[in-house]
Amino acid sequence: MPTPQLPSEVLAMMRRGVSAIVASRDADLRPSLMRAMATRVGEDGAGITVYLARSQAGQVLQDIAANGHIAVVFSEPSTHRTVQVKATRVQVRQAGASDEAAVARYLASMERELAHVYIPAPLTRAMLACRLEDLVAVSFVPEYAFDQTPGPQAGTRLPGMRA
Amino acid sequence: MSEPQLGDIRICLEGVIPAVMATCAADGMPNVAYISQVYYVDERHVALSFQFFNKTRQNILANPRASVQLIHPQTAAFYRLHIRYLRTETQGPLFEGMKAQLAGIASHTGMQGVFRLLGSDVYEVERIEAVPGAPLPLPAPRSGMLAAVRRCSERLARCASLDEALNAVLATLTDFMGVEHGMVLMLDDAAQRLYTVASCGYATSGVGSEVLMGEGVIGVAARERTPVRVSHMTNAYLYSQAMRSSFEANIPDLEAVTQIPYPGLAEPHSQLAVPVMSAGKVLGVLFVESPHDLQFGFEDEDMLVAVAGHLGATIDLMQATTDAPEAAPPAIAPSPAAGAPLQLRHYASNDSVFVGDTYLIKGVAGAILWKLLNDHRREGRTEFSNRELRLDASIGLPDVSDNLEARLVLLRRRLEEHGGDIRIEKTGRGRFRLDLARPVVLTESS
Repeated sequence: MPTPQLPSEVLAMMRRGVSAIVASRDADLRPSLMRAMATRVGEDGAGITVYLARSQAGQVLQDIAANGHIAVVFSEPSTHRTVQVKATRVQVRQAGASDEAAVARYLASMERELAHVYIPAPLTRAMLACRLEDLVAVSFVPEYAFDQTPGPQAGTRLPGMRA
Repeated sequence: MSEPQLGDIRICLEGVIPAVMATCAADGMPNVAYISQVYYVDERHVALSFQFFNKTRQNILANPRASVQLIHPQTAAFYRLHIRYLRTETQGPLFEGMKAQLAGIASHTGMQGVFRLLGSDVYEVERIEAVPGAPLPLPAPRSGMLAAVRRCSERLARCASLDEALNAVLATLTDFMGVEHGMVLMLDDAAQRLYTVASCGYATSGVGSEVLMGEGVIGVAARERTPVRVSHMTNAYLYSQAMRSSFEANIPDLEAVTQIPYPGLAEPHSQLAVPVMSAGKVLGVLFVESPHDLQFGFEDEDMLVAVAGHLGATIDLMQATTDAPEAAPPAIAPSPAAGAPLQLRHYASNDSVFVGDTYLIKGVAGAILWKLLNDHRREGRTEFSNRELRLDASIGLPDVSDNLEARLVLLRRRLEEHGGDIRIEKTGRGRFRLDLARPVVLTESS
């Protein structure tokens, strides 16, 4: 498995907890997507977990389970700094008590992030409202990463990723 | 859960919380990206801004299926649009409407110079999915918009002149819509300019000021026959203020000297311009603006379009009936002109008229004034009719459909503001009187 090398500031942003949207596609190449209710990113960025609510993300979860293809965009609302990571192999499991702290930490981070762009905390809490028993943890090692901060350079593949 | 219609979730397209789009490459790799703009086209279609040749772009050209996630900005409810790419438009009403809106978004998000609309990608909306969640309760719907349209309709129906109709529209916007700054401009089709005939909320009325076709949100709304709405401050759509040169009596730079300053806000944050149309023709533009962001939503746009429709029909109706024969009003002895004479000068090259050294009016309205003054000098007449103006070739009304009534409103208002002791007063349908409180001396300049 290749070692992903995300720029440190990008990795710091992802680890802190920013907006994350998960996409996949079905056998007919029909795309599916849903916002992650929480994320957890390992120190080196090699281990990424996104939490999806089963009640909201049925199609995405079905597609991921069927073909392993996943794309996740992370974006810092106040700066628009954005990165997309992709993988073709995932591990899926039911979230449990060991994930509770990560989910809570993510919500707290998102409340701060979105407050910077004047989105009130009650709206953020409604957006990310979820029950642990409804959450599915999808883990993967990024195989590709792209700078997606708005601008002409958006789409540039970040160095150090699998060719 | 029953599937919502696009109209039900239009508020999600206002861009408060950015939308996200998933596509899939031909090799099966999904892609997910933020999108600047999801634009409501109609109940079955949305348009997305095409700004860069990026992965999303490559994917939809190869595989037209896409999914867009939207969030309700008041409740945080999620929606998914399942859409299919149809075509890209690079000019026309949709493109221009999106371009103006994108300019506001770019400026608001610090992306000036980064966001540039290359095309409007039009998608068919195949399905709208309400995603389960725990949204906040929906705030009470904004009330009174329909009632405001009703009030405007009632007021317009009572109007017997264009003057009154313009006042009725602006008063409705002020009284029921909370609009603080607005204006109505009429199209001079021959000159391809729009001239202000009425305004409210500005330091100067700006009546007579001109906007070029295609200039700013007003000019784009007229040229493209589409509403144009900008929700944030943007330099891209500011109106250039012409430099005013000093007046030189014998060789004035008529183009510069006859510019009436545009009255609008120097730093508007929200702007909304809708074309005033009737029978398929653009008659003018109804325009409102605000120094604050996000003042005009899609409901304001809907309302303004409805009001503009009423105004367009009213203008057309008045145009058709102002020349109806009517008994001449009883002659009123004109008040005797007294005092030092006013010096009036006319420049034939653009029909501009100056009172002393002060620019008053030009164009068709200037030609009308000059005719009235000359007829008065030669024949002592003070009573005139629209019909004779229309028949007088020297005035140069381009054709019968040209809005004479609007020219008279412009002339009357300019005279009230800058005409010294000259007035024209409406005396009946299609009739008016020239009132001179002081003697005048007329000079023709080349």
